[in-house]
Amino acid sequence: MRSFVFSDDQSLVPAIATFARGLGEYDIYASGPPSPAIKKYGASKTFILNDPNLTDSIADLLASKLSAGEYQFGFIASTVNGRDVAGLLASKSNANAIAEISSFEFSGSSVRTKRFFFGGKSILEEESSSRIFTVSPGIAEPKEVDAESSVEQVSLSPSRITVLSSEDKKSGGVDIEKAQAIVSIGRGLGSKDKLSSIEPFASAINAVIAGSRPVCLDYHWLSEDRQVGLSGKKVRPKVYIALGISGQIQHIAGMRGSKIVIAVNKDRSAPIFEECDYGIVGDMFDVLPKLMDGVKK
Amino acid sequence: MAYNIIVLIKVIPDLEQIKPDQQGNVSTKNLPLRIETLSENSIEAAVQLREKHGGKVTGIIFGTQETVPIMKKAYAMGVDDGVVITGYPGNDPRYTASVLSSKIKGIPHDIIVMGNQSADSYTGLLPGLVAGALGYTLIGNAISIIPTERKVRVKKFLENKNVDVEAPLPAVISVAQEINEPRLPPVMQIMAAGRKQIPTEAASISNSSSIKVLSNTAPKSERKKMIFEKPEEGIPVIIKVLKEELR
Repeated sequence: MRSFVFSDDQSLVPAIATFARGLGEYDIYASGPPSPAIKKYGASKTFILNDPNLTDSIADLLASKLSAGEYQFGFIASTVNGRDVAGLLASKSNANAIAEISSFEFSGSSVRTKRFFFGGKSILEEESSSRIFTVSPGIAEPKEVDAESSVEQVSLSPSRITVLSSEDKKSGGVDIEKAQAIVSIGRGLGSKDKLSSIEPFASAINAVIAGSRPVCLDYHWLSEDRQVGLSGKKVRPKVYIALGISGQIQHIAGMRGSKIVIAVNKDRSAPIFEECDYGIVGDMFDVLPKLMDGVKK
Repeated sequence: MAYNIIVLIKVIPDLEQIKPDQQGNVSTKNLPLRIETLSENSIEAAVQLREKHGGKVTGIIFGTQETVPIMKKAYAMGVDDGVVITGYPGNDPRYTASVLSSKIKGIPHDIIVMGNQSADSYTGLLPGLVAGALGYTLIGNAISIIPTERKVRVKKFLENKNVDVEAPLPAVISVAQEINEPRLPPVMQIMAAGRKQIPTEAASISNSSSIKVLSNTAPKSERKKMIFEKPEEGIPVIIKVLKEELR
């Protein structure tokens, strides 16, 4: 059985490729200048596509391979372009697609998958003959292999899309999905200038700072790439410390993979206390200095 | 030039009110319904395009009998014509796309606008499935839409970049929440919308979905939930945990 892994973001390839390794052989399709690491994830072949925004041409390429039986399954990183390709590909190859799978079992004739539903309030378990899946990087712990795969440039068929220009977003320069410890802040922080009282604690425990949707998208206290949640990044650190985060279900869905969750919140009835291992009902600005003193000892 | 715009509107239940039963099964029966957030952004984007260039906005809801009254909100926001298709099963985006695209084919259109992902299922597959079924170009996660005669320029909002692209019309454009702030319709428009007809029809294609739902239950939280109402009691416990885990 062969699969393909497609990600327009090379940093998402390792986890998805590691997951695909459990099912048999696979090729990787990615875009951008190939990073040295991309050879090390066990693909039979690695194909580099010239532009990830040409979603119609990418879907055409992958559809021709799926239809020709070259691959049984396709696993696609759940990014904006990835989801567009997955939908187009499902349509063009007349195959079912299941989105955002968190579990995958193949029984020989059908596939059992699980995904979040109702905005993270439930887990939908489905059985289908689907061949296309979008996947978040949390699906597996990335593992390299010894052998290196060949890397080949692929030119795409002409696209109806013309890319005019592109502009990099301001990035905090950190990848919260790779962090071992995360200090995550919510509206309870109060204002952006109070970040300075969180930073010493975060650096004392080697944690990166992340935040909830309002903090990143509405108030811009943190850059967008630090947003944890169903519509942001899915993180799975060893320790996730939620400060002043109420714990809306959309947020929980982004941090559910964390090993240990610690919450500090003034409101005893905040839903985050139902989703944490250790919780303190109190003011983060009182609690943090004490935690920091203790950790330093 | 004026454009015919179709906006695909998703109606969802108030997810915050979902409470699992004793067995952990969840249901959205009898919960209040509303227009999905990104569908509101889509309506706003469509109405703004018409205000600027002229033309017409047609709203399509694929829902159930219960979702029919929700079209009033879309009317109040500026949607000219609407239709509600009933028979929405909820978990098979490919079927949803086939029903929607067959309806779209019968309505004049240049631009189809819809949300990039919905707040309930988050599949993000529907825009590609609709574009694929119609044979159109898809431009995903737009934060600006500028039609120029028979083409459209769109700024795509990606994870690490914003990308400007151009494609021929007709096209399917999915929007991001950042594209606009949906308007709050004035009372007069709400009242006028209340009097407007809402044509309703059953889905023209029967659902032959091969996706079988095995279960739909609340995720179990296996967290320890040791909550300290007195911070001084919790602090030493947490310090110990941090030291052990982050050695």
